[in-house]
Amino acid sequence: MIIRTSNVNLYYHTFQALKHIDLAIKENLITGIIGPSGCGKSTLLRVFNRMNDLIDGVRITGSVVIDDEDIYSPFCDLTMLRKKVGMVFQRPNAFPLSIFDNVAYGPRVWGITDKKTLTEIVERSLAGVDLFGGLKDKLHHSALSLSSEQQQRLCIARLLAVEPEILLMDEPCSALDPIATGKIEELMFDLKKTYTIVIVTHNMQQAARIADDVGFMLLGELIEFDKARKIFTNPADERTFGYISGRFG
Amino acid sequence: MDRHFDDELQDVKKNLLQMATLVEESITKALDALKKKDSDMVSTIREIDHQIDTCEIAIEEQCIELIARHQPVGSDLRFLIGVIKMNNDLERMGDHAVNIAESIEYIIKGPHIKSITNIWSMAKIVKQMLRKSVESFIDNDPVKAQQICERDSIVDKMRTETIRILLTYMLEEPETVGTAIPYIMVAKNLERIADLSTNICEDVIYIAQARVIKHHAEEHKA
Repeated sequence: MIIRTSNVNLYYHTFQALKHIDLAIKENLITGIIGPSGCGKSTLLRVFNRMNDLIDGVRITGSVVIDDEDIYSPFCDLTMLRKKVGMVFQRPNAFPLSIFDNVAYGPRVWGITDKKTLTEIVERSLAGVDLFGGLKDKLHHSALSLSSEQQQRLCIARLLAVEPEILLMDEPCSALDPIATGKIEELMFDLKKTYTIVIVTHNMQQAARIADDVGFMLLGELIEFDKARKIFTNPADERTFGYISGRFG
Repeated sequence: MDRHFDDELQDVKKNLLQMATLVEESITKALDALKKKDSDMVSTIREIDHQIDTCEIAIEEQCIELIARHQPVGSDLRFLIGVIKMNNDLERMGDHAVNIAESIEYIIKGPHIKSITNIWSMAKIVKQMLRKSVESFIDNDPVKAQQICERDSIVDKMRTETIRILLTYMLEEPETVGTAIPYIMVAKNLERIADLSTNICEDVIYIAQARVIKHHAEEHKA
């Protein structure tokens, strides 16, 4: 297991957004988190890289262990954690910089200044998201000139540049059309050979297509967690079936 | 609640039951005709088979459309997959009824064979198996379905016994070959109808419990 949570509870002031979450995420798999709006799936995703720490009034109990380290321990190095656990958001958030500088941003923060090393990292990262071939002559063009799908790929390349282990994806295709979505899904299949991916998605078919394991959340609880094949052919809980079949939610 | 989709699933079920009724009618008429040696009935049974074939195509198209448009999951998905398989099994049963009816012509032409009581006992059990397998689908009752599956071995034994009796006839009185062989074919067709009823029961169990019991799959898994 690369991520293991035990009895995680999260409160926004007095509101309990996550309730007793016990979860084990395996290495080099795509784990999908599904559930209706407001069920806590994005909150859970942000637990894995402590993004919720940035929100006022958040309190969390229980333990979250990544690679045998409790990430909520006072000794946890937050910068190292964010390097290890990268995050892709709903809308591509390319920086208003060149394509090269977007990808080189992280390594520069980590103190890499040697141009040859940076070039190698940028090329490797862009190749990892299948962008290098098409953009190798445009690396100094603005990243904002790219299409939405290319910008989302660029954001993933920006993560790969700091060599993470886990990629958290919060609705990464919701701003993309079906063709671009298909391309990002193909990329995810390639990436899972090297990285562990946790994706939050509203798109049930997307979870069914790409996820190896699926967790269904409702009102802050993890109702069911199992192989995607099991969840989509024979869910154990009536509430899971109700949601995935569109009967409620 | 997705009422529209639920209504469509109910409509699929209703159409499959209508088809099953035609299949039962076809088998019953074929066996009655065999008993009365009434070869005129063959054309009626062929006509029913034509209706069964039309139903098969319509149900298959309906299921494919529902899968494409609603992308069902869980028990809805199992239901539609199960119906597609049952649809195919029922259509095959209709073909077996035609085969039984077509054997009448050969039986009329050949010498009379006295003792073929085993065939009628077999026919009675096979008709019960078909009716109860359809009932287990209507009631979504895996326990009933399991009980019917267990009757398949009785029919297999009866077929073997029937063939043994008819072979004895042929050895003792070779002139009966022309009649005995069509009866062997009838026994074989009845045994296949029992197998197909068993398939329906296996699909009922899959739909209700997501268990695959065919080919002893659960024992192999364990």
